[in-house]
Amino acid sequence: MLLSDLAQVIRSKNAGPRRLTLDIMFASDADYQRVVQSPALSREAIGRLYRIAPEDVAVIPYPLGRAIKITLPRDTAGDPGDRDVYGAQQHAPLLGIEI
Amino acid sequence: MSASHRILDDVRRTQRAMRLLGASGQLGYGIPTPAFNAGLARQPDLIGCDMGSIDIGPTYLGKGEMATSPVATRRDLRKVLLGARQVDVPLVIGSAGSAGAAPHLEATLAMIRDIARAEELHFRLAVIRADMPRALLKQAVREGRMTGMDGMAALTEQDIDDASHIVGQMGMGPFRRALAEGVDVIVAGRACDTAIFAALPTMLDFPPGICGHMAKIIECASLCCVPGGRDTILATLDPDGFELESMNPTRRATPTSVAAHSLYEQADPFSVAEPEGRVDLRDAHYTALDDRRTRVAGARWVPSTDPTIKLEGAACIGERAVLLAGAADPRFIARHTEILAAVTEVVRELVCEDQPQDYTLRFRVYGVDGVRGVVPDGEPTPGEAFIMGECIAPTRERAAEVVRTTKQYLLHHGYPGRLSTAGNLAFPFTPPEVSLGPAYRFNVYHLMRTPDPDGLFPLEIETL
Repeated sequence: MLLSDLAQVIRSKNAGPRRLTLDIMFASDADYQRVVQSPALSREAIGRLYRIAPEDVAVIPYPLGRAIKITLPRDTAGDPGDRDVYGAQQHAPLLGIEI
Repeated sequence: MSASHRILDDVRRTQRAMRLLGASGQLGYGIPTPAFNAGLARQPDLIGCDMGSIDIGPTYLGKGEMATSPVATRRDLRKVLLGARQVDVPLVIGSAGSAGAAPHLEATLAMIRDIARAEELHFRLAVIRADMPRALLKQAVREGRMTGMDGMAALTEQDIDDASHIVGQMGMGPFRRALAEGVDVIVAGRACDTAIFAALPTMLDFPPGICGHMAKIIECASLCCVPGGRDTILATLDPDGFELESMNPTRRATPTSVAAHSLYEQADPFSVAEPEGRVDLRDAHYTALDDRRTRVAGARWVPSTDPTIKLEGAACIGERAVLLAGAADPRFIARHTEILAAVTEVVRELVCEDQPQDYTLRFRVYGVDGVRGVVPDGEPTPGEAFIMGECIAPTRERAAEVVRTTKQYLLHHGYPGRLSTAGNLAFPFTPPEVSLGPAYRFNVYHLMRTPDPDGLFPLEIETL
């Protein structure tokens, strides 16, 4: 099943100009548990998807919000060549993850 | 008696709960009137508005311009000024004018003075500046007291000279000093959004962890609700926790929606960093009071032993001009990488005939990789694409020369298999080249260790 079929929210945004933070939120505890236990969202898997070293990836389960947070480094927002100053469209690679 | 002294005296005497109104998380983009008026009817003790963010990029800070339109900003300021004076409670505005440097603060103050004159409002206005003195910053560089945020390169004295504006993000201290002086309205330069709301209750000995957590939520107005939105929110604060209620009856603050708000634009949902310490949310808990109100408790305050101020600065890096064009020929789109590289070289040879290459020229091809930067394997070539060429050069004339030359040679570039020999590009309008003015980048995003962070933010009081 695709992550985009299981999640209620999949979003990205800057957390300051040097970090990107991705939130995956679920409507039910069952969906949250299914994904949080899956290796598809390991640091290694996310690192491959975003072409970033796994040690630079933080994956933080947040059960109170039925959510998983992923935080990545990014090139400074607004620098020449930037493609997404707010970082609001960098969730796209997550949509197709197979759970 | 000033509004801040009246509230401080009243809460001290009665030891009652406090009511804090988060009127807007982005003043200048519209404050819905029904929810704001509903909030005023609840007799709040403070009205807070955040005006700024670093998320909007370096240009507003660098150029000294607001991100919001003057008309909408003035309308919002008028609404909150009239509301706060009507119920006689402190109005606290942080990060004035989007980026909180001197020109942003001055533009905001000019509107406030003008509104006060037009509406015959009289009040004591506190102004807190956030521009950092250059000599002091250079001394901190020499003394090794600067640390790059999130991997930012080490700061140099040259960076400090290059930045057109450098602000520090003030914490609660400067707001407390203003509130203690007895004022009705506070307009602050760049500030922590939480300090807007947490300064007053922490003066009255409400626990800083609870206050900081409350502030972090209500500074975004009703964003913590389902459905989230920009309507005014009310927090009712007691020494053990706080209750949240949107002033729009269709928005519900539920335990899950409020807990999930800790994720928003935060790298770590369990910790909120402030100059004076951090709010630890690991033991925070959320309980439904009814279907649209939630009670929150459990946040703890961890004071910092080594106070720091976060600095933000932006430097001009040249003049920007862009080329805007579409394409619908699959052969052109399929070969766009080599075509753009070839045209870049043709342009370079032409515009650098009698001078060095003093510009950068970049392309984003929307429909292909404009947003993501890479094309996933196996993705088909799209039927249409949008090409944005971007030049940054030392002068406006040079940037225009480069993009105009690029336009002409990209339009007529010949490539293997080309059928459309009359032109490769579809222009939505002419001229398709646009000069966008000076370009900036964040060259300061650093933490400065300083023994007296509050002393960096001078307070002025004027009576209107």
